[in-house]
Amino acid sequence: MSPEPAGLPRQAPQRVLRLGSRAFEPDRLLVMAIVNRTPDSFYRPGVTWDPAAALERVHQVVAEGADIIDIGGVPARPGDDVDAAEEIRRTMPFITAVRDAYPDVVISVDTWRHEVGRQACAAGADLLNDTWGGWDPRLAEVAAQAGVGVVCSHAGRLPPRTRPFRVAYRDVVDDVLNVTLSLASRALEVGVEPDRILIDPAHDFGKNTGHSLEVTRRLAELAATGWPVLVSVSNKDFVGETLDAPVEDRLAGTLAATTVCAWLGARVFRAHHVRENRHVLTMVSAIRGDIPPARAIRGLA
Amino acid sequence: MITSAALCPSPPLLYPGMTGRQAVAPELRAACAEATGRLVRGEPEEIVVVGPAGTTGTWAPASRLDPSQFAPAMASTGTPSLPLSLGLGAMLLDEAGYRGRRRLQAIGQDEPASTCIRLGAQLGAAETKPALLVMGDVSARRTLKAPGYLDPRAAALDSAVESAIRTGDLDALQQLDPILARELMVTGRPAWQVLSGAIRSSRPKTEILYCDAPFGVAYLVAQVQPA
Repeated sequence: MSPEPAGLPRQAPQRVLRLGSRAFEPDRLLVMAIVNRTPDSFYRPGVTWDPAAALERVHQVVAEGADIIDIGGVPARPGDDVDAAEEIRRTMPFITAVRDAYPDVVISVDTWRHEVGRQACAAGADLLNDTWGGWDPRLAEVAAQAGVGVVCSHAGRLPPRTRPFRVAYRDVVDDVLNVTLSLASRALEVGVEPDRILIDPAHDFGKNTGHSLEVTRRLAELAATGWPVLVSVSNKDFVGETLDAPVEDRLAGTLAATTVCAWLGARVFRAHHVRENRHVLTMVSAIRGDIPPARAIRGLA
Repeated sequence: MITSAALCPSPPLLYPGMTGRQAVAPELRAACAEATGRLVRGEPEEIVVVGPAGTTGTWAPASRLDPSQFAPAMASTGTPSLPLSLGLGAMLLDEAGYRGRRRLQAIGQDEPASTCIRLGAQLGAAETKPALLVMGDVSARRTLKAPGYLDPRAAALDSAVESAIRTGDLDALQQLDPILARELMVTGRPAWQVLSGAIRSSRPKTEILYCDAPFGVAYLVAQVQPA
């Protein structure tokens, strides 16, 4: 058995999740809408590169029920270098524009860099969504100083923007738990508020398809820690490789993975297709009995 | 003097069932089977599998790869796993029906050339006159979609390796710069330097059975026959 880092238990109830001024009870399933400020992300590259198009997308996803707007300026895959200055240039004006348009919407910034995080918080971000597993240890400190939240993810110790090469795990879920709980523990130590910390297994980051499927299969073990679990499965390669489907044909597979993660206890779902994900999550909540149906008349008239 | 050698790549996708419902790279699998088959049909007294790993050392001959570390849905063997290169070498020998003596020799990924060559010379001086199954890959940085992305220097280094093997100039492999090889994710470097130390004849006869990078990682399959 691996030792538990910093005495954090692996069994604890889920609690309220605070982001910005909002407080989300454990039974709320949240959609985090992806809005990439890049010309070359993997799904529909460049679709929101133009700032007007990006803001239009924000209007659309808010109308479709997004709870969080996730703004990123650097693609996850390898490619032309995007340094911190360029990343800031791509994201800061846009964060400001979104905050101006929507004073209460939760804004997260998809970055691993503390200097980007610091500026994002000044511009109005509520959450630092670090998919690269704490590669820059100062990011958590920035979150603490700004009073915002942080996502503690498992990226298999890969440097940012690198791909897994023959990555192997004795037990991938065990490693995910060790890494994310360590990061959560450190976030607490440097002063991030406990209600503003999430964990994310980061499907496909430092993991192959088999590993990502295993993480999904055993997602209940992550939820059992008590930390709110964020998952980002939308259009990912593990979906594509399971179905032999290209990027533009992965919606059904994405929704299946989303449903399983929701049923097993995940609470935040990072998605391209907000409307469909919102429908899936509302359905899961109703099946659970957490919410009533919207409008039931059949058989009751 | 070793009696013969086969060079094979060591991607996890070679392991049966690893890639799921579709078999992948059938030409590569066939070339590995051919190269290993020729090695086994030579009826050597012993086959030594030489492959890169974290550290230099030998493994018990009955050891096998635990595929569950790459594919959690596959059953774990429950025993300590061989390093990937040795595990795939053992698998290839099993698939070729080899039931003779085998040794499993890991060579540390960062071992200097001199260490590799010396180890090769020891293997070559063995009483049993072994055949070698040498595992390892050329660069994993060959394309934009490669695991190591694209490094423009990779094609030239891969070409130099292929050329050395094709012409039987295995001594040229001793000149491979370990630092550049590491930067270009060339896992085979130490294993080929072991091979070059084990071959003491002038210009062995060689045949390249496969040389391609379908997924951005360069795989090389070859047979080496000392004169």
